[in-house]
Amino acid sequence: MPAAPPSETDFEGLLRALVAASVEFIVIGGVAGKAHGSPRLTVDLDVVYARSDENVRRLTSALAPLEPYLRGAPPGLPFRFDPETVRRGLNFTLRTTRGDLDLLGEVAGGGGYGALLAHSRELEMFGLRCRCLELDKLIEVKRAAGRPKDLEAIAELEAIREERRKRGL
Amino acid sequence: MKRTADGFVVAFAPLSGDPPFAPDPVIEAYKKDVDRGLIVENLKLTIDERLRQLVAIQRFAAEVRRAGRAAFGD
Repeated sequence: MPAAPPSETDFEGLLRALVAASVEFIVIGGVAGKAHGSPRLTVDLDVVYARSDENVRRLTSALAPLEPYLRGAPPGLPFRFDPETVRRGLNFTLRTTRGDLDLLGEVAGGGGYGALLAHSRELEMFGLRCRCLELDKLIEVKRAAGRPKDLEAIAELEAIREERRKRGL
Repeated sequence: MKRTADGFVVAFAPLSGDPPFAPDPVIEAYKKDVDRGLIVENLKLTIDERLRQLVAIQRFAAEVRRAGRAAFGD
């Protein structure tokens, strides 16, 4: 467990750890929204990861040095972030030494990594090649989540869509 | 990175056709309060600049929290 939560999320550091280990993942959520032009602040990194054995192994190795721990869980809980834990679970909200990271095996309205792959695009984020969810799918996924706190963010993403359409972007 | 003549960054494949989802009256209501000026300015930034902006805002928010704690306690 990280000694104390970092005051900021090091998005670049988290992405670098995943990319360096060749983890298959797609950036979704607030960071994807930011890449699409959202002015909204986000404090965690959300990614959908591939559930293959090999990828789960890469994922757990990549994150081990960042001491992942269940966010909000009481200190001292016997939690081991290893391939077995990931295989038995699906979605994990983690605190790491580089900030908060949500690892999602599946998302409502989108499915898993394989289903989302065709709706993603490779981009350069912080100088790293990463896959990011396309705007329409990002809106669909946020809508499907059905969380009242997302309403403003969805409205903003739909406004981005309209502004891009107006300009042929 | 490609730009249009009026300075917008072409970062993604162009959107074509209607959105693949129906308008939602609740979201439409929220949309009225969206600051489109900020969005338009962001569309002129590269993806890297958009992400660096996120880092800068996050740093600023952390600094405000720190200053608040120093001045008023937890």
